[in-house]
Amino acid sequence: MKLNRRNFILSLAGGLIGINFTPLPWKLMDDISIWTQNWPWVPVPERGRFHYEKTVCTLCPGGCGIKVRKVDGISGNRAVKIEGRTDYPVNPLGICPVGMGSLQLLYDESLRFTGPMKRGGMRGSGEFVNISWKEGISLLAKKINELRAKGKPESIVAIDGNRKGSTCSLLIERLIKAIGSPNYVRISNMEDTYEIACKLMAGKSSPVSFDLENSDYILSFGCALIDGWGSPGRIINAWSMWHDYNSKEKPKIVQIEPKASDTASKAAEWVAIRPGTEAAFALGIAHVIVKQGLYNKRFVENCCFGFKDWVGSDGQIHTGFKNILLKRYSPDRVSSITGVPKEKIISLAKEFAKAKRPVAIFGKDKGELPGSIFEYMAIMALNALVGSINRIGGLLIQDGLPLKDLDDPVLDSISRRGLRKDRLDDAGTEKAPFTHSIAEAISEKAEEIELLMIFSSNPLYTLPNTKALRKAFGKIPFIVTFSPFLDDSAMMADLALPDHVYLEKIDEVIWPTGLQYPLYGLSKPVISPIYNTKHTGDVVIQIAKKIGGSVAKSFPWSSFEDVVKYRVRGLYEAGGSVKYNADKPVWEMIRKREKPEKGYSSFSDMWKKIKENGLWFDVPDYNKCSFSTPSGKFEFFSHVLFYHKNKLKAMGVTARNDEAFMPHYESQELKVSGYELKMIPYGMINLSSGWMPSPPFVYKTIFDNQLLKEDSFVDINPKLAKSLKLKQADRVILSSPAGNIKVRVNITETVPPDCVYIPMGFGHTGYDEFIRGKGANPNEIILGRRDPVSGHKVWWSTPVKIVKL
Amino acid sequence: MTLLSIPKEKAKDWIEGICFFILGFIGALIVGWFLFPMALYSEHTQPIDFNHAIHLENVEGDTLTEKCLYCHEFYEDGTFAGIPRIEKCEDCHDPESPMGDSLEEKKFLTKYQAQEKEIPWYHYYRQPPCVYFPHISHVKMAKIACKTCHGDHGTSELLPVYQENRISGYSRNIWGKHISGYKEHTWDRMKMDDCAECHTKKGHEEFNSCFTCHK
Repeated sequence: MKLNRRNFILSLAGGLIGINFTPLPWKLMDDISIWTQNWPWVPVPERGRFHYEKTVCTLCPGGCGIKVRKVDGISGNRAVKIEGRTDYPVNPLGICPVGMGSLQLLYDESLRFTGPMKRGGMRGSGEFVNISWKEGISLLAKKINELRAKGKPESIVAIDGNRKGSTCSLLIERLIKAIGSPNYVRISNMEDTYEIACKLMAGKSSPVSFDLENSDYILSFGCALIDGWGSPGRIINAWSMWHDYNSKEKPKIVQIEPKASDTASKAAEWVAIRPGTEAAFALGIAHVIVKQGLYNKRFVENCCFGFKDWVGSDGQIHTGFKNILLKRYSPDRVSSITGVPKEKIISLAKEFAKAKRPVAIFGKDKGELPGSIFEYMAIMALNALVGSINRIGGLLIQDGLPLKDLDDPVLDSISRRGLRKDRLDDAGTEKAPFTHSIAEAISEKAEEIELLMIFSSNPLYTLPNTKALRKAFGKIPFIVTFSPFLDDSAMMADLALPDHVYLEKIDEVIWPTGLQYPLYGLSKPVISPIYNTKHTGDVVIQIAKKIGGSVAKSFPWSSFEDVVKYRVRGLYEAGGSVKYNADKPVWEMIRKREKPEKGYSSFSDMWKKIKENGLWFDVPDYNKCSFSTPSGKFEFFSHVLFYHKNKLKAMGVTARNDEAFMPHYESQELKVSGYELKMIPYGMINLSSGWMPSPPFVYKTIFDNQLLKEDSFVDINPKLAKSLKLKQADRVILSSPAGNIKVRVNITETVPPDCVYIPMGFGHTGYDEFIRGKGANPNEIILGRRDPVSGHKVWWSTPVKIVKL
Repeated sequence: MTLLSIPKEKAKDWIEGICFFILGFIGALIVGWFLFPMALYSEHTQPIDFNHAIHLENVEGDTLTEKCLYCHEFYEDGTFAGIPRIEKCEDCHDPESPMGDSLEEKKFLTKYQAQEKEIPWYHYYRQPPCVYFPHISHVKMAKIACKTCHGDHGTSELLPVYQENRISGYSRNIWGKHISGYKEHTWDRMKMDDCAECHTKKGHEEFNSCFTCHK
């Protein structure tokens, strides 16, 4: 037996054939294929026991209850899923797609600042270098002290997107005031317009809410009910509840808007109206109701002022709302303004007035942007005519949350001098006497700003005409961001002092938008901070202490939580409940006039339970016929506006005589020759259009006729497409006098021929590759008139033209 | 030309060649059937030699499944605890009054319980992360006995040596003890085909769709 070449080959051949009669090749193949599924970089959830931590979502003002599924694996700190809570009254079934996907906002390092940083490259380059918290806070405190020493505290401006009345917003406002600057500027939304409309007609700046669940007829003036309006969790839950009702119980929903939106297509009736003519439509309905004597005489005669002609204390005869309606808003005239057939106006008016608990709701689109005062007043007046103010199933005007106020800050001579200066945005001045803030106006006064601090907002993305604003930002010597995200505005920052992301911190829900009862939510940190970030509330206190003097004295607290606890004592003193029984929805308790069980024995017990469950709520008393107006009644004729009669013309109110002080219609459209189309932005429920980024997950839910590769689409009518010789998905330039954006066209019959509908939420210049540069941001080219009363930019109609690429 | 007509020298070469061929063939069979499995799996002894049989005697439950579930419990949300954490062991084992004089219990009390350290068990039956296997629907709804998948593990007095596949990192129990994948009992193997086989046998072919387990 010799092992020569031939025999060696034969033995190999034998081996090769033999091996196939063993499990080796098959088993190896199986194992190797499994091995390829287990690369170390393939993300695999940690193993361990799952448990849930309850909290509330603070991504939007909706205030949904959420529970975070966590796994107690090796780190003991891994969140794996976000779900809606069933034991929270706002959203007893679910949450929105953005809320569901937002774990990425927590874990996606490319979206976030991982610690305090200062600018490392050119502005906007996104290059930052790490610094320590001590260095960051000292740097900012030094800048503030330098400006105060120069006697220029008013050149310090804060833009804040925190919810009005929240403890964080109060602390920021307090810091700015203590420093001596009048320029604390909030990002406005429809609730700011609600407050002004309320102030003018009901006498106080109150939150407006709608008892939709108890209503039997809902006239929606462009509210994107199922696309994220108000508190999306609540509305979608109510909608699904109505879906299960029998036809007798089901409320009739009439959607009034120019586009066959999701809400319009699911509503019982869609009324296609010309954009921006909602006020005329509401007054047209009011005309029919008054003319046919269908109005609620008890409420109008006992609780309203200015319905009939009246004589003032000076003996002057004033025209009443009734006569204004009858003379100026006949169905024929309203039909010619709105484009709605007069028969439809008459039939809707009759239906609305004859319903048992009708309500007309307002706030266009998702309600993230401010509205038009006279439009809101007209719809409030419509509610008043049918007696639906402060009635079950109607529009409710209530006091704000009874949280304890903070004492005034301590002011030194520098602060007092600074606070006497005018605000840069003209809010509260003769140009906009009822308005708290007009953030977009600061772009005109950028030269006067030395230091800009940006809190919980992304003004370079969310404010109209961002191109002008970006230029203005370039003139500001020092910009500080407190955003946890590398957002569009943060890219321009010189210093970043990043906040925690919402799941890492204690934060508040201050009365979810539009909810019919007062609710306070408190989120708790369900995850310990992943990066070297700090709660902005705590950082504000630390900055104040570092500034020293009277500013430090204004902040006696050691932490943000101390301040929250102090304010919550106000809720304890007011009563209310911390115990929610899921079998008894609050709206049902309202209808049955039941009060909830308190669920606490002392303040410390209440505080413990609020921290644990994140909930305080109360069931308000309705049927109140007393208002804080000079007349003590709901005013069709606004005394507050009347007191400012000399300013109205300068503010831009075109109506004259008594009509100017009452709800009326005046066109707010800007007409520019050569730009004959109207661009109307719209929001989507699966895309964040506010300061919070959309988690990259949700981009998977966007259709190909909304975003294709890097281009977003605008919706245009087939007639317009034909006249411009455009085909589906053609690339075009959308131009307004403010600039151009590149988009594609989606040809759809759901939009009118003279309008171009554009989605909001695309076109970021910040964040990471999954968000940046996807589509176009309509704010880049929004150009509109100012609302004559509030001074806010009219965002819902920009004159544009389309040029094929 | 027949073999007989081949010259003797050449025939010898041929026979020699066939012998080498057979040698190679048999060598491959030995490698494939015996050496390969020995090389493929690494062996680990469990940190504690747990006696299931003795625990079964001492826990509550009318049926074997109930007894198993005493320690391998379901949480409130329906998820399965798997191997219990030491807090479950502490329900019965008190460091001040041990239940017996076993060295393994002593090891548990001193090395793990006293130091509040979880026992680093090797998991014989752990499915890979891409598999969603809900115990609750099998045990509570389909009322399948633990033995169906886990064999006599629950009544054993000693824990077998844990064998880990060096390539895939999976326990040998997933592929099965027999290297050929041959199985005699339902618990001999835990591959995808075995899940599907059982679903089909029980008339639930609809559960054989991909998304049922690979979510």
